[in-house]
Amino acid sequence: MDITFILTNALVVACIYGLVAVAISITWSSLGLINLAYGFVFSFAGYGAWLVSGLTGGNPLMVAAAGILVGALGGIIICLVVFIPLHDKPNFTIRGMTGTLAISLVGSQVLLWQFGPRAKPLPELFGFWKVSLGDIVLTSDKIGIVACSILMLAVVLVWMKSSRRGLEIRAMMMNPHAASIVGIGIRSTGLYVMAITGAMAGLASILLSQTYYIAPFSGLTPLIKGVSIALCGGLGSVQGAVIAAVILGFVEALTSRFLGGQYVLITQFLVIITILIIRPRGISGLLDKAREQ
Amino acid sequence: MMDTIQGQITGEPYVWRNPLAVWDSKGGNHEVLTVRVPNPNSIWRENTAYKAKTYKVGRLKHYVIWPANGERLWQRWRWWPTRRNLLHIKGQYNRKTLKAEKEIIDRRPIYWAICLLALVLAPMFFPVGLENTLLTAGVIFGVFAAINVCWTLIVGTASIFSLATYAVVGVAAFITSYMSIKLGLPWWCLPPIGAAIGLAFGAIIALPALRLDGFYYALLTLGLNELCRVYFTTSKEFGAASGGLYGADSFISNAWSPYAQSLVSYYSAFGLLVAALFLFRFTSGKRIGRILKMAPEKREAFAQATGVDYRRARVTIFLLTSVALGLIGGFYTALYRGVAFSIFGFDTVLLGLAMLTIGGIGKAEGAVAGTLIVVVLDKVLIELGPIRHIIIGGIMMTVVLFLNNGLYGMKRQFWAWRDKKRGEWRSTRTEKGGEALPEEATETDNKDLLYFRRFDKNQRDYLRGFICNEIIEEHKAKPLGQHSEALERVLLYFRRAPMDDKYAIHRLGPNGLYRIIAVAGRRGISPRVVEDKEYGTIEEAYHGVFMRRVHDLLES
Repeated sequence: MDITFILTNALVVACIYGLVAVAISITWSSLGLINLAYGFVFSFAGYGAWLVSGLTGGNPLMVAAAGILVGALGGIIICLVVFIPLHDKPNFTIRGMTGTLAISLVGSQVLLWQFGPRAKPLPELFGFWKVSLGDIVLTSDKIGIVACSILMLAVVLVWMKSSRRGLEIRAMMMNPHAASIVGIGIRSTGLYVMAITGAMAGLASILLSQTYYIAPFSGLTPLIKGVSIALCGGLGSVQGAVIAAVILGFVEALTSRFLGGQYVLITQFLVIITILIIRPRGISGLLDKAREQ
Repeated sequence: MMDTIQGQITGEPYVWRNPLAVWDSKGGNHEVLTVRVPNPNSIWRENTAYKAKTYKVGRLKHYVIWPANGERLWQRWRWWPTRRNLLHIKGQYNRKTLKAEKEIIDRRPIYWAICLLALVLAPMFFPVGLENTLLTAGVIFGVFAAINVCWTLIVGTASIFSLATYAVVGVAAFITSYMSIKLGLPWWCLPPIGAAIGLAFGAIIALPALRLDGFYYALLTLGLNELCRVYFTTSKEFGAASGGLYGADSFISNAWSPYAQSLVSYYSAFGLLVAALFLFRFTSGKRIGRILKMAPEKREAFAQATGVDYRRARVTIFLLTSVALGLIGGFYTALYRGVAFSIFGFDTVLLGLAMLTIGGIGKAEGAVAGTLIVVVLDKVLIELGPIRHIIIGGIMMTVVLFLNNGLYGMKRQFWAWRDKKRGEWRSTRTEKGGEALPEEATETDNKDLLYFRRFDKNQRDYLRGFICNEIIEEHKAKPLGQHSEALERVLLYFRRAPMDDKYAIHRLGPNGLYRIIAVAGRRGISPRVVEDKEYGTIEEAYHGVFMRRVHDLLES
């Protein structure tokens, strides 16, 4: 296999999983919730987009918008069902995590029940064209995926840096208790955070469905990859997640080039474990003090 | 002003005759309209009555208490050759009858014995048509309950939030199956080999557990689980196509009747569960468990400061449990003649976590009860179809939302809730008008003061009841001399007031008018003038003071 082909593939996959990782990271650092229901949000958004593409005849903009909106809706559902009732209860972290797992269990079964086990394809969003840079051929979907995920990430980061809500979210990341004392509503901020991270997962789902089909359990791999990247980059750190996504993407590419595809996960986990043994909080993780709930 | 001064419990008016009138007493009214005075006890009864709604049932101690006498009071059943008691029994004397009696303090061993006996006898009572389903479910229950008891040991006792438990079992099961198929190992080799594999795998995954804490480790092990799944499903050696690896040697002979096979599987799985429970009892209930109870998540620093090596204890438990899990993996192979890939599935981890969460993490009974609930839903009610996973998820969600620590944390949570509610009800019952608050009362050294304040409060409530226009008119007519009972009681109370801020009458010059002042009650501080109003006669001034005091009484 061509190394450049593998590298571009790795970059594309890293972009998608990076989106999920950043979503997990933001949720953890601002709400203290380990959301393991992104796998469900992923499939949920995919099915939403699939329904809309059936209704509108596959208009790319509509499909992408539907995916993002349905993803945000999934995030809001999780917030309403798990975060808002539990956020001030004892053992919140473990109960929150178990609650999101329960949602994921119920949600995937409902999806399976409603749509059946057959995988659903989404229309091509970016058309069929390619760009040749020397001997590197970039297809439309690769360029589209990378551009879209970077755009989404940039929009979220700018929004978090410049808007009032973003300021609230950043305050929650620093010290949730103090933030609530100065009048930032934990519940309303939770809704914003979950909606925006759900939208990110929804977009990731739409982008991944350019390569894979949508199935009730298709969100599992992105979830695990996203969690690993977020863990490696440091829970709560966006730039750490980006760095980790790039590192793990290259590890994946190099392993499949030199060792073979079946060793990808093993080398990835060896890298993750090594990084975590050297830096238990990830590449640029927050210290323990920052998130002590 | 006269209209507003009206007490609460005014008796009916009547004409009072001065008994001294026959001697033509000086001052004093002869005949005056006044009110009847209620019984002074009435206000005390009302203020000290218990107004909360009460029920006939008292709070019973539901301990089994049976009579014992003489030396048998101290007789205990013991685990033979040790001196360890079978049951935690306290000998005591009944506080009322002074008879010797025994009380079982910890009844859990009895419940365990009953439940385990029920599991032993259960196959006799399975309904005829369902025997096969129930025995199969029973085998799954035994194996999964054993795994979950080990898991709760890791998560609850050792506080290592590992999600790779099923991965350890699966790896041991796969490797032992592979060895049994390729090398022809007999079934009794498989559990020990599995244990060795479990130890090796546990040692590898214990390494990050030393550095990472809490949820970082949980997420990492979730990934490890997925890694194992992908590795075993895609590798050529472990049978990628057939959905699992089958054909290992088993202690269950194919020559037996299917029912006998199921029965042997059932009882062997039950034996596995009992062994896992023993492991739990002899780690969590012993010294190492106590060490770890001192060092829960986020309180490690304190344990370390007191000289507890919690890392060592955690890793010891983790490795012990890994050995047990590997053994279970080998046993699994020998029981089912192989293993399926589904043991690494995310759904298996999810269902396992559901079992732990429903029962309550950190308790063996929680792990077993949760497993029972989930297995019954998942394997016995198969005809429900995919709904049963939704039901399991729903139960899990409900437990997570409403219970702090699963079904077996319910009792403690209920107690905490009940105590909170009791406190709230008590605070609504407390009357605060002038009486010392409970917090204040504990701070006061002079307890006489508390009783005085209670008396004073009740006295004021009582007197306030018959302040009315009649006695005011009576006082206005004759401020001094014998009065009716109502007015006399009020005046006695006023006269008994302490000196600080007591009203006095001040005459402005030998022939001047009268003015009301208040004495300071302390030497060297002059009285203050209360009002600018000046009274022509001393009687008017007396009445002015009386009116001020009545006003103060009604205000307080």
